[in-house]
Amino acid sequence: MTAIAHPDATAGYQASAREQATHWVRQLVVIVLISAILLPIAWIFLTAFKTPRDVYSISSALWFTPTFENMQTVFRDPWNLGSKIVNSLAVAGGTVLLAMPMATMAAYAFSRFDFRFKQAIFLIVIASQFIPAAVVVLPYFLMFKEAGMLDTRTALVLVNLSIVLPYAVWMIKGFIDAVPMEIEESAMVDGAPRSRVIWEIVVPTALPGIITAAVFSFTLTWNEFLFALIIGKQHALTLPIGLIGFRTERGDLWELMAAGGVLITAPMFLISLLVQKQFVGSLTAGSVR
Amino acid sequence: MFPMRRIPAHWLLLAPALLFVAAMALFPLAYSFVLSFREWKLARSVTPGDWVGFQNYWYLLTDDPDFLEAIQVTSVFVVSNVLATLLVALGAALLLNRAGRINTIARVLLILPFVMSPALVGISFRFFLNGEYGIVHHLIGLAFPSMVDTIWLADSTLAMVAVVAADVWHWAPYMTLVMLGGLASIPKETEEAARVDGASAWAVFRDVTLPQLLPVISIVLVLKTVFALKAFDIIYTLSNGGPGRSTQTLAYFVYETAFNYYDMGYAAAAAYILTAVLLVASGFYLRLVFKK
Repeated sequence: MTAIAHPDATAGYQASAREQATHWVRQLVVIVLISAILLPIAWIFLTAFKTPRDVYSISSALWFTPTFENMQTVFRDPWNLGSKIVNSLAVAGGTVLLAMPMATMAAYAFSRFDFRFKQAIFLIVIASQFIPAAVVVLPYFLMFKEAGMLDTRTALVLVNLSIVLPYAVWMIKGFIDAVPMEIEESAMVDGAPRSRVIWEIVVPTALPGIITAAVFSFTLTWNEFLFALIIGKQHALTLPIGLIGFRTERGDLWELMAAGGVLITAPMFLISLLVQKQFVGSLTAGSVR
Repeated sequence: MFPMRRIPAHWLLLAPALLFVAAMALFPLAYSFVLSFREWKLARSVTPGDWVGFQNYWYLLTDDPDFLEAIQVTSVFVVSNVLATLLVALGAALLLNRAGRINTIARVLLILPFVMSPALVGISFRFFLNGEYGIVHHLIGLAFPSMVDTIWLADSTLAMVAVVAADVWHWAPYMTLVMLGGLASIPKETEEAARVDGASAWAVFRDVTLPQLLPVISIVLVLKTVFALKAFDIIYTLSNGGPGRSTQTLAYFVYETAFNYYDMGYAAAAAYILTAVLLVASGFYLRLVFKK
């Protein structure tokens, strides 16, 4: 028989029929895997450009005349996704802008100093990411109610900051740990103050880590749902909360929901593909590389 | 002389983050704990009511069938979810852990479900399973004619399957990436040596790959358990805890008790039982990660 070289085979090695069969089965399963990821996403993206009539008819599942009506409708009353996009951007942007300096400073201290209870304090910071939302959402609600801060973007920034800080500290610390201490030491011997050393040496070298942490924090905040649901009423509604608004007394408005889904998803896809390599370690913070 | 000079630099650097964690994580945690020993129906009074000792906990554990059902639902959800994620992620990682154009494409795509809003994932799955025009409902009807008239989200078992499937869809690709990271750190030589010695593919996997992958597998296992215990968005948007209470997990139970029935003290006690479980799981996780 004519054997085709197996992609993994070393030169001169002829793949047996059985190995070839396994190879094709593998390829097939990978294609199934890719479809399982892409088809649901594609279906939502297609639905966003369908008329309601096409949504409800299986025969026009793939063949339909695309319409941009939904994309326009979601920006009009009563949906106003425009203001929700602004809120989401403000909350996610504000959270990242506050979180990065705080996390970088803390990460530097954990990485470069020895002090009492360092391990314990670090563990408490890291462990705070495991506090279930269900247990803190009550106090948040009552605290913000008391302070008159319900339905404000500030409240959402504070809440999201508490979610992303532990991740950010952990991720950035991993990167600072990898920066050799000698450069900093020689700069300090030359009399540079600590603040300048951090700003001019540590931050630039740990920048890839800080950027990854920023993107990860932005994604978490952009998609955050439970706190936004409880804190937002009309002024501080974010995009994920906007999505559930398409479930009305008249039933679900799927084509509008899909249009909103495209708006919330597309930017995340773009930035995640840009930093996809670094993203993997984000939850396990370098314990798995 | 600046008074700041006397405070060591590391405390100044740590202060913003630590004060924030104290105010926004530790304080609410303590607040909830105190609340769990009080009776407070927010609909009737804006200030906390009487101290009731362990009464909230006692009612939850002995006298509230809804809570006991929530524990049962949570167990089913967490166990099936974690096992399914683990198997899919391990299988996919072993499959993708070799060169090839199609594998490269697949590895790039793995990040997409993870960065999608879980709320959107839940809504989308509800759309796919809709009994009249849902595409998945339709395709399953074609493959299994007996299920043409099945309304997925009206059946308590199928609703659970749907919720688990949506969460696995959201998480398994990311966990595959984590597993691929683990596989990449295994030296190729040991596997090749075993293969040269004539070991079968299965034997190589069982005796060489799997033992070295075990640390990563345990991290995935515990991490997914933690996130399954915390899961809320997908359940809220996909099944709303229903039909009945068949997909109402502990996290959902707390939400409903607090924000639909405004029973704050009771909700806090339920939340603390969930926290206790999570504390154990997180302890395992931190031990795994900091073992080195």
